[in-house]
Amino acid sequence: MMSSKQFFVNRYKKLGWSYKQVKPKQAIRINTINSNRDTVVKRLESLGIVLEKIPFLEDGYWICKSKFSVGATAEYLLGLYSIQEAAAQIPATLFTELEDRTVLDACASPGGKTVQLANLMNNSDVIVALELKQRKMFALANQLERSRVTNTAVYNMDAKEATNLNIEFDCVLLDVPCSGNYVTDKGWFSKRTIEDVKRNARRQRQILTEAVKVTKDGGEIVYATCSLEPEENELNIDWAIGALNVEVEEINCHGEKALTTVFGKELDRSIEKCRRIWPNQTQGFFVCKLRKKA
Amino acid sequence: MKAINDFVAQFNAGIPFDESHIVRNRNRYYLLSKKLKQHVPKGFFYAGAYLGAVKGASFFPSFLLLAMIAEGKANKLVVDKKTAWLFICGRDIFQQGILKGNNLKKGDYTLILNEHNECLGFGKIMHNLRGAPDANKVAVKNILDIGDFLRREKRQSSQQQRSSRLQGRDSKPRKPTRK
Repeated sequence: MMSSKQFFVNRYKKLGWSYKQVKPKQAIRINTINSNRDTVVKRLESLGIVLEKIPFLEDGYWICKSKFSVGATAEYLLGLYSIQEAAAQIPATLFTELEDRTVLDACASPGGKTVQLANLMNNSDVIVALELKQRKMFALANQLERSRVTNTAVYNMDAKEATNLNIEFDCVLLDVPCSGNYVTDKGWFSKRTIEDVKRNARRQRQILTEAVKVTKDGGEIVYATCSLEPEENELNIDWAIGALNVEVEEINCHGEKALTTVFGKELDRSIEKCRRIWPNQTQGFFVCKLRKKA
Repeated sequence: MKAINDFVAQFNAGIPFDESHIVRNRNRYYLLSKKLKQHVPKGFFYAGAYLGAVKGASFFPSFLLLAMIAEGKANKLVVDKKTAWLFICGRDIFQQGILKGNNLKKGDYTLILNEHNECLGFGKIMHNLRGAPDANKVAVKNILDIGDFLRREKRQSSQQQRSSRLQGRDSKPRKPTRK
């Protein structure tokens, strides 16, 4: 009988990618509302931390060498930077304009992207952050307090019930709960089955549907997962183009064009505007920008 | 609001923001911007700038509030690099680690700043700082420092573990009780 690992590795092969074991470097993002990039870099280097600028990110750095945890420095506790995986730093940067906007971060915990959005908005205007799990609420609140974010309201609420807020948003970030990938979870292959993937994909469609309802006409939705499975990525977007009032927008970021043929099924051509990141320097990731049609 | 006013006054400072923007949510206080106040419905878990919480008769400030107070005129001590690190680790301050601000007297409360003028927390002066330093005497007792962000995560996760164990116990069917 085929092992779970073999099953998924074969799928990746059919999608045109050969499985490899990778170990991406830890990454940080400078919180520009609290300091400037050069100052923080100098301070960290003076502690003996060796940093490397991430070429495809404005405020991202890889930690090449550190004798201690970068999550326990005074600079971290003062909110001068956040620890955030490199690919995970991409989605928040894809909105065309964040100034004077009302933004929804629909699946917010642990808050890395919420803080990043607040930085990009210069800590002004409004972010509404939702998190379903009660146990993750304190971690999210701590992250916001540490990073000195002051433009965000957090609700213990399911993204599938966002219409209850009675707010129309200009921008919606959907970093949806997903199956994850083997890079960040050592036991991934033994834990996951295709049924999990399909269940997550169904839930993601429900969240997407709700997100479209609370987005203003012409507003933007950035959809992201850290899953490699097409059911949670290209196939969901293909479904959204047909079932919801959205179109895929061009984005210019790290990653390769998303797949437009998945296991023999031809998808909408506009899906190639999405980006798929196979594990290499970063974990696996998928990101795209949708616009709600007027 | 009195709790915040009283707390800030301990540092010989005034409230550095418009009090009408403060919102109380259970035992926690938040400072909301005009836009947040207009747009955001009630029932939030956290919003705007968290200022602190009241527990019984005590006020537990947030680090945002301490940083806001530190921006204006207030009791402050600037400490050297090593002292700053030890303070973040929960330790008290000895006089030789103090670089600036020796005018405080016993019983005063003071904000503790590092060499970059960033607020690391606050403490209580244990003896008059003017005069010859006594190397063996604690000058400032640590009351709250930013290392709390790490310590509270541990606390909260162990509390959650405890409460989930209790919930597990609670999930067993209960006998109906007569009123």
